[in-house]
Order: sequence, then C-alpha cells, then structure tokens
Amino acid sequence: MTSWRVGRFSGLKAWAAVITAVGLSALAAGLASPGGEAVAKPPASMEFCKIYPTAHACAASPVVNCTTCHTVPPARNLFGAQVAEHLAPGAARPLSDADYIAALPAALKAVEALDADGDGISNLDEILKGSAPENGDSRPTAVSCTPGQTRSAAAGRWNTCGYDPVHAWRKVVLDVCGRSPTRAETDAFRRRLPSESSWREGISGQLDTCLRSPYWLGVNGVLWNLANAKINPQDSIKAGPRAGSIPLADYEWDYNLFAWMNTGDRDVRGLLTSQDFVKRVSDDPPTFAAVPDADLKGMRQAGQTVPREKRAGMITTRWFTTVNTMFTPIPRTTAAAAYRQYLGLDLARMQGLHPAVAEPIDYDAKGVGAPACAVCHSTLDPLTYPFTRYDGIIRNNYNPNRLKNFVRTDGARVVEAPEAGEIFGQKVANLLEWSQVAANSDAFAQKVTWDYWKMMVGREPSPADQTEFALMWKSLKAPDKFNYRVERMLHALVLTEAYGRP
Amino acid sequence: MRMPGLFAALTLAVMAAVAVAPAVVSAQEAAPASTDPRIKFKDGERYLRDLSETFEIPRDEICRELSRYDCSNKAFRIVLGGVDPYDARVMQPLDQATLASPIAFDRVALQVCANRVARDRADPAKALLFKSAAGRPDRAWRDALTDRLYDRILRRDASVAERDRMAAFLQGVEGRTGRSARGQSEQTLLACFALASSAEAAFY
Repeated sequence: MTSWRVGRFSGLKAWAAVITAVGLSALAAGLASPGGEAVAKPPASMEFCKIYPTAHACAASPVVNCTTCHTVPPARNLFGAQVAEHLAPGAARPLSDADYIAALPAALKAVEALDADGDGISNLDEILKGSAPENGDSRPTAVSCTPGQTRSAAAGRWNTCGYDPVHAWRKVVLDVCGRSPTRAETDAFRRRLPSESSWREGISGQLDTCLRSPYWLGVNGVLWNLANAKINPQDSIKAGPRAGSIPLADYEWDYNLFAWMNTGDRDVRGLLTSQDFVKRVSDDPPTFAAVPDADLKGMRQAGQTVPREKRAGMITTRWFTTVNTMFTPIPRTTAAAAYRQYLGLDLARMQGLHPAVAEPIDYDAKGVGAPACAVCHSTLDPLTYPFTRYDGIIRNNYNPNRLKNFVRTDGARVVEAPEAGEIFGQKVANLLEWSQVAANSDAFAQKVTWDYWKMMVGREPSPADQTEFALMWKSLKAPDKFNYRVERMLHALVLTEAYGRP
Repeated sequence: MRMPGLFAALTLAVMAAVAVAPAVVSAQEAAPASTDPRIKFKDGERYLRDLSETFEIPRDEICRELSRYDCSNKAFRIVLGGVDPYDARVMQPLDQATLASPIAFDRVALQVCANRVARDRADPAKALLFKSAAGRPDRAWRDALTDRLYDRILRRDASVAERDRMAAFLQGVEGRTGRSARGQSEQTLLACFALASSAEAAFY
C-alpha cells in the first residue's frame, strides 16, 4: 500500500485538484518573494531533482510536484517559506526564470539543516528519505528489523525481515503465469532452499516460462493491459476484426508492437524508435513476427501507412495519429500524449517543462503566446513541431507539405511552423531525432521501470525502495547490464527486496 | 444459479468468515509482523482460475451471475481488479478497492463454494469437498473436511490451531443446520466460504 508520504509527491489526484482550483495562470503569474506576494515557479519542479538527484521523489521521476514547496500554489508551505526567505535576498522582484534557477541551489542549501516542520528531522534528511519536510506527522519510514526479529522471521512461515525466496517465487507464478502454484510445485521449490544458487535458478526458470505464457503475452494479457493507457483503445473507431461503427484504425497492431518491443532480446527503446510493423502470428502460444514491407498489403490500411524510413515506433502508428492528431495542424495533444505515456512527464501537471527561447510563436493563431499559456507552451509547442508532418485521421502518412491544408482554417502563418523542434532543451530536426533523444533519456528508462515496478511490486516506489528502483532504471540503460532489455530487468526485479520481502 | 440452501447459507456467511478467518491470520506464528507489508489482491480472474483448477469445475462454469454473466469477466469485472479499456475506459486496475469489492468478492466465493457442494451432492462418487458422514458427524469428520478445504483452497495443511478452530465452528453451526446430510452439506459450504473469502485466499 502506498504511504501517504509517497502519495504526497506523486498524488496525481491531489495535483489535479490543485490545477483545477487555481488555474495555470496563477502558477504562471510571478515568482517567490520573501516578504511579498507568494507565487510559484514551474521550472523548479525539474530543477529540484538536478540539485537532489538522490532524493526519494526524484528516483521515480525527474520532476517533483509543486506541493514540495506549496500548499495550494502559489501559497507556500512551511518548507517553501524557508526556501523563499533565502532565495536571492535583496534582489529585485520578479526574478526571471534564469535568475530564479541560479539562486535556487543556494537557497535550498541554506535550509538543509533547518527543520521546517519541527519534527526533529532536518529538511535534508526528509528530502532524501522521502518524508515531507513541511509536515510534522511525516517521518522517514524505518523498515529494518532488530537482530532478534531477523532470527525469528527467518524461522517463521514468511521471512518478514528479508528476501523470502518462496514468497517471491509464488508471486512470480501469480504475477506472470496468472495462477497459484500447486502444492507439488511448492514442495519442489522448497527443496531448492538450502542452495541459494538453486532457488535463484528456480525463480529465474519460472519467470522465463511464465514470460511466454498467454497470461503474460496474450490478447488482454498482462503486457496488453500495461499498454492500455498508452494506446487508449476505443472500439467505436476500431478498424479490422470486430470493427466499430466508424472504423478508422486498428489498435491491435499497436499492442503487437508494444509486446514485441517488451519481450525477448529486443531493445525497449524501439517503443519510440522502431520501424517494424508486427503481427500476432498466434495467441496460444503467443507468437509475433515483424512483417516485411512487401507483405504489408492488406494490413497497411488498418495499421501502418507511414513509410518505414519515417516511422518512430508507437508514436507514428495509424492508431496513435488517428486518436491524438485527428485533424489538428499543430498536434499538441499528440506530443503531450507521447511525453506523458512514454516519458512519464505530464505537462498538464507542469512536469518536464524546458522552456525554449523565443517560444511559443503561435503559428496557428491559438493565442498560446499569452503569458498564462506561454508557461507551458514554450515547452509544448517546440515539442510538437516534429509531429506536424504526420497526418491524423484519413491519410495517416508522412507529408512534408501537410500544413498547406490548414491555411484556410488556421491562418496563413501555419505553413511557417517548422518540422524542427526541441525536447529536453535539445534541438531536433524531425520526429526521428526527437524519438532518439526521448528514447535515450533518463525519463524514458524511469518510465519503463516505473510501469513494471508498479505492476510487479504492486505500488509506486516507496522511500524504502529508492535505492533498488534507481538501480533498476540505471541498469536498464547500462550496456553492460540490462542494455534496454525488459526481460533482463524483470529477472533482477524479482530478486529485489521490494518484490521478495513479505 | 439457484442453490438449495443458499439463502440460509447467506444468513450464516458472515458468521462463518468471522469465526474462521482470524485463525488464518494467526497462523503466522513466529515471524514478526512485516514492517512494510505489500500484499497484492489476486483479482477476480486469477481467483477464479485458481478455484476452477482446484475445484475441478471448468472456468466458464464456475461462477455466473444470474446464470448468465461471468463473475470476473462481466458482472464484477472492475470491482474485482479488472480493466475495461474499450467501453468503460478503465485502462488500469483501480488503485483502491471500491466499496462494492468485498461484497462482490464474498458473493463470488459463496457462489463458487455452493457450485462445488451442489456438484458433490449430485454425484457423491466424485465429491471433492462434501462427503457425508457415515454416522453422526464427529471430530474426525470435521478434521477430514478441514484438511480437504485447506488442501484445495489454501493449498497447504491446516495447523493444529486452525483445525481446532474450524471444528469448533462446524460444531457451532451444526446447531442451526442440523446433522442431516443436508445440514452437513451446508456446514461444508460455510466452511468453504470462510476459507475462500479469507485474506490468505484473496491476497498474495
């Protein structure tokens, strides 16, 4: 069960309520001032994790929520008030974003040893260990056992003080095969317990078997359901088998590609970079195969109409552009969906803001240059430009001249919108470069790991999980470790204490 | 599916769970309580797959509301931890159980147990849970029933304390169900329900 402390940092419902209550304009209105009006600085949510990369809140995501320093933005909480007092004292207000970011490390440093909530634990300790520095009832969780408890736990039915191989193995059977082990299977596994190498081999072998099961890989299986929130299937517009009333595209191809990239010895970055088109050969046993371009005839219309050299994994499929881009010339929803679904950064919650210089330009005359809008659109619009050459409903193809079709509805300047854009402050020429930067980012590895962690462990990474979680996503990236192979990561994940400790 | 004695079983169901479930929890004798417990809900589909296998009832027959709607895939899909991305737009299992979840779970447990006991009554030669006592139900009959239930539902042996507690429960229920074969089958159904709706059966 997720502790409230963790929920505080990642409580999406709470943050959604905040957004609703105060509106984006309030967040964007100015900056923190020690003696005067309190206001919020969205870039701080990302800057915080650059300053405290080992903080609990930064283990699962490169951003923290605004409630780290605010109650209901722009009002500050106790910790935020301490930081504000030390933020560029004497400097004229409002501070620019650049001045604010330059002053933030010193301000945070100045309050590290203080104790904003008076609970006897320093602000720094609370930040690093995942409790709330502004709430006296929130303290770091102690999860260690006394030596006496450790001895009795080891002799008990469950080892509640450490990794319990039988418990972990049983979880693997339930999580990945979708059933409880039989008594005979349990007895056989127990016979392995005297030898660590033997029980490790038993868990690993069980995982390998289950990873090929229909329960894991099949239609409506575990991987399929893991992709639901990314693919966003809707039966009313489904094409292909069991077509809906307005058949526009078939999401089943997207599920195939998702499963393909998450299994076997394949690089999971292919979710954003693959140019494969994948079919499900059989559902029992689940079998997939990449379709050669020559064989695409007949499948193309429902699944993939973009030429191979212009494809970028899951974010250029016919389904993805149909449900996200639709008829939009500058498809901000598409870029925001990709940012949220594959990088874990939700711009609606002001996560992942990297304002680009001289943006937004407002090529489609939507009024995004207004100060209240520009806070997010200075990141979102350059993030979106690389998507502007990909058609949505009907054509679903790459078209370098696509924006000419929108002059009548969106104004003459719409054709000036560039294909080049920016992601994480890095300039990219097109969507292929965009997807490469995204796939190689820490945010991507964290999001992949986070998805599996939540599913397998059963909750978001807690303060006690920070070390193991960080090890997982960093190892996912490391060429000499998991090298972006999900199944390698899963073999390590089931051996973590977070997974195997009852 | 309407089961003989189902109404009476419902009346006693809560009593059964209260009487026996604590025994399951207290079985974790020597180990200290987990300092950071992270149990997971088995969810409706895995729960029914397990019971289908252990009760030897085909998965698509084991639990159907109004004899029509599969308990996990249709009737209680979302409240028992499932998803429905296509129509209801529920993309992931709910983070928190709903108020209806325990009610639905108990209904499923009771229906599955009633299903198995009805089959046992209909074909005693192939009975798995309910086996009528040769004479008056005694401690040996109760222990044998307890052992069958723990073996089938929790896939382990009952501890001594658990056998004692179940025997006391069955004896107490006998006062309301009577000692007849029908009464014994109702005792079996309630004991089955108590274990099938226990935390140990629902979580892992």
